[in-house]
Amino acid sequence: MALRELASLEKYLGLKKPNKYSTQGDKKVPVLQNNNGPPLVGQVTIACHLVKEAKRAELLGDGAEGRAVVQQWLEYKVTKLDCCCKEDIKTILKDLNLYLQDKVYLAGNQFTVADTLMYYGIHPLIVDLAIQEKEQYVNVTRWFDHIQHYPGVRHHLPPVVVLRNRIYTGRLH
Amino acid sequence: MSLNLTINSSSPPLGALLTAEHVKSSVPVSVEEGKDTRLLVSDSIQFNDSNSICRYLARVAPALGLYGASVMEQTEVDHWLEFSARRLSERPGAMAALAALDKALSLRTFLVGHGLTLADLTVWAALKGHGLWPDPDRSLPHLDRWFSFLSSQVPFTAVGSKYLSKRAPPSRSSMDE
Repeated sequence: MALRELASLEKYLGLKKPNKYSTQGDKKVPVLQNNNGPPLVGQVTIACHLVKEAKRAELLGDGAEGRAVVQQWLEYKVTKLDCCCKEDIKTILKDLNLYLQDKVYLAGNQFTVADTLMYYGIHPLIVDLAIQEKEQYVNVTRWFDHIQHYPGVRHHLPPVVVLRNRIYTGRLH
Repeated sequence: MSLNLTINSSSPPLGALLTAEHVKSSVPVSVEEGKDTRLLVSDSIQFNDSNSICRYLARVAPALGLYGASVMEQTEVDHWLEFSARRLSERPGAMAALAALDKALSLRTFLVGHGLTLADLTVWAALKGHGLWPDPDRSLPHLDRWFSFLSSQVPFTAVGSKYLSKRAPPSRSSMDE
């Protein structure tokens, strides 16, 4: 899964020649053999390296605070999202819904690599949601729909249908 | 083709100015200050209404997609142009219009489609121009998010600071005393 996400990130970044990755251990941690240096290990490490390679440093966040927020969500993606069990799903969606209430992107008003990887990571959770649940987590749904239509991001993932108007208006959130 | 936009400097048409700011890379538009708002297209054709100016500018720069990508989206854009000119300008009804706007924005990042359109420009301009938003007494989270998102983007900050500051009453500086 992590390898496909890195391949899609490469395409989004417009990197011409795809890298060859290997994996390490039971958890299949991605490894990138670097030509001029030691191998890079871990999805977040490799993702940040790819962003720099594509000379798109703005995707790593704006200013010290922005960069810290981006790293926070990248870590959240690999530690919480990628190994969540069924019981965690509701908590994750609830927290994320609250966080995204006043934000267009995870880092605020600017699209970053955190939006891309979080979108790849949360896709399996959103696919399984019923229409009513998508409305319950309205801010997650809106962010997700925006990112899946963001030019060049979606790649290996099927689109998820999102209604543009609410049906269950009586429900309070 | 060169277009000339003259604006009424005492009540600047923010929507038209924003649209001009967005299209200026593909269509040269010069902006001058004067008494009345008008867009001079040729010797015999001019537009005086802010929405007409927005529509014309969006149509001569089709690559920007400011008028939406399909017939459905064009109709939605028309709906919001009307909404900004009428419902957001009527004093007693404006508050209900804000609530409707908040609801429409709950599942949307932009008002129409997946990118910026005239709908966003004209509705933002109406809220900003009438001073309807931000409103500290009301909590409309989706409207708040959308408004501050757009306000942080370059053409919006440029137009907002350039034309709204001029309209503010001249403040007395301490040097006068």
